[in-house]
Amino acid sequence: MHTLRNTKLAIFVGLLPSLIIYIGVAIIPILFSLYYSFFNWDGISPKIFIGFENFVDIFKDDIFWLSLKNNVVIMITGLIGQIPLGLALALLLNKGLKGNGFFRTVGFLPVVVSSVMVSLIWGMIYNTEYGFLNGILGVIGLESWQKNWLGDPDWSMLSISLAYIWQNCGLYMIIFLAALQNISSEVNEAAELDGARGLRKVFTITIPIIRPTILVTIIFSISNSFRVFDLIQILTGGGPAHQTEVMTIYMYNNAFVSRQFGYGSAVSILILLFSFIVVVIANRVGREKN
Amino acid sequence: MNKKTPLYYVIAYTFLGAFALFNIVPIFYMIVGSFKTEQEYATSPFSLPEVLQFSNYAKAWDIANMDLYFINSLLITFASLMVTVLLGSLAAYFLSRFEFKLRGATYALFLLGMLIPIHATLIPIFMIMKNLSLLDTYLSLILPYTAFHLSLTIFILEGFMRTFPRDLEESGVMEGAGLYRIFWSIILPITRPAIATVVILNFIYNWNEYLFALVLISSESLKTLPLGIANFVGVETASLTLQMAALTIALVPIIIFYLLLQKQLVNGMVAGAVKG
Repeated sequence: MHTLRNTKLAIFVGLLPSLIIYIGVAIIPILFSLYYSFFNWDGISPKIFIGFENFVDIFKDDIFWLSLKNNVVIMITGLIGQIPLGLALALLLNKGLKGNGFFRTVGFLPVVVSSVMVSLIWGMIYNTEYGFLNGILGVIGLESWQKNWLGDPDWSMLSISLAYIWQNCGLYMIIFLAALQNISSEVNEAAELDGARGLRKVFTITIPIIRPTILVTIIFSISNSFRVFDLIQILTGGGPAHQTEVMTIYMYNNAFVSRQFGYGSAVSILILLFSFIVVVIANRVGREKN
Repeated sequence: MNKKTPLYYVIAYTFLGAFALFNIVPIFYMIVGSFKTEQEYATSPFSLPEVLQFSNYAKAWDIANMDLYFINSLLITFASLMVTVLLGSLAAYFLSRFEFKLRGATYALFLLGMLIPIHATLIPIFMIMKNLSLLDTYLSLILPYTAFHLSLTIFILEGFMRTFPRDLEESGVMEGAGLYRIFWSIILPITRPAIATVVILNFIYNWNEYLFALVLISSESLKTLPLGIANFVGVETASLTLQMAALTIALVPIIIFYLLLQKQLVNGMVAGAVKG
């Protein structure tokens, strides 16, 4: 048998490499972000301590509020566009229709494609001159509907939201499908004996059973909405005139384009804070309703 | 099962069909476009190509440095994946099979990683890599990819290893095998299904990653596929068919990968998403 001390040493040695990389590259940087956020700093010259001034400046900046508003738009898009759609698809596919596998495969495909590819493909669809969307509108005689989908401030956020739904809907579909398939057949049979059918069964039996999964997807969707970057960075870069900017883009532009590392760090702390707060609220509301 | 009316099937298939079209058409449109001449595309964007222009592919492959991006992506993806899975499975083994004082705290610390938006770490990681002179090297991506995916890896593997019966290691102990021997010869082999899931998930995440690459890599010769292709499309704005060919080249391997490993991937995504 091993001596206790040998075991302890082996555990320590086994965990150490993971801990070093994980703490060094994922945890400590957060503390550094917090630290940097109190300085005026371009990453090269000496840091100048300015207390909470970065945060004050951020809250005074209209562009920041615009980007926060756009984050909320993305959040709502996820909550009302992706989750109900994903749930509806899962409910249909759970019934063992013919062609089930095909729809599942196709539905999940965009999730596997990198967000860069998704953005570039949608960039072509929205292309003003040669894009698919304007082309189709021309073919069916709706030329007057053609527009600069990403460049028109009234439409740019909507266009991005559509691409965002396309990208992630399949993920929620699969998660719900997994939850639905875990419901035992006895529950279904009992419900049907009681005369629950169709939509009524869905709302009175099925949805309450998978409620924990729905709560998790809601939290997942919210925290994802604060992480959106690639899609918008590539489709519009946050433009036109900051109309599609979200907090991550705002952070990236301030830090890596304008070289304001202190200011950018303060934004990144806010991203962390906001996503955390909204997730905690969603979690609490969801638990109470249970 | 209760009987469905024909109307139900009509509605169900219309809905599913519309959704499938919505998912396929953008990709199909791009692949068809990639085989057209520039002029053909401009005049009749919806017709099928008269002659398949394979030259678009040769040109795109050449101009876009696709071979370079593929090699870089493969190297970085596999290196991060190996390190993550090796270190992650070892950590999961100790966290799942042993009781020690800081076990709970260590596990919780690792799980925290799934809540952290990487954006909150971007600037310090950039500075750390700069100070260590690692900026613009393979390692500058391998380290963050490993660090951020250890959480999910440990989470999935720990959950799986925990389900093994308690006396599993007994024979190993009887024969005097050390802990690492037991890990390698007894635990790892039976963890294989979960490891397959973790490998696929890590592969997809690393292969698709963009933000770290954007910030940490600047040399053309080190660019990964997402970064390189985004850059190419940004520069090569004149020729849409060339862009489409480049995108198709980048897309096809991941679609094949997906179709081959669909079942395992979907299971993994569900495990990761539902619990994460």
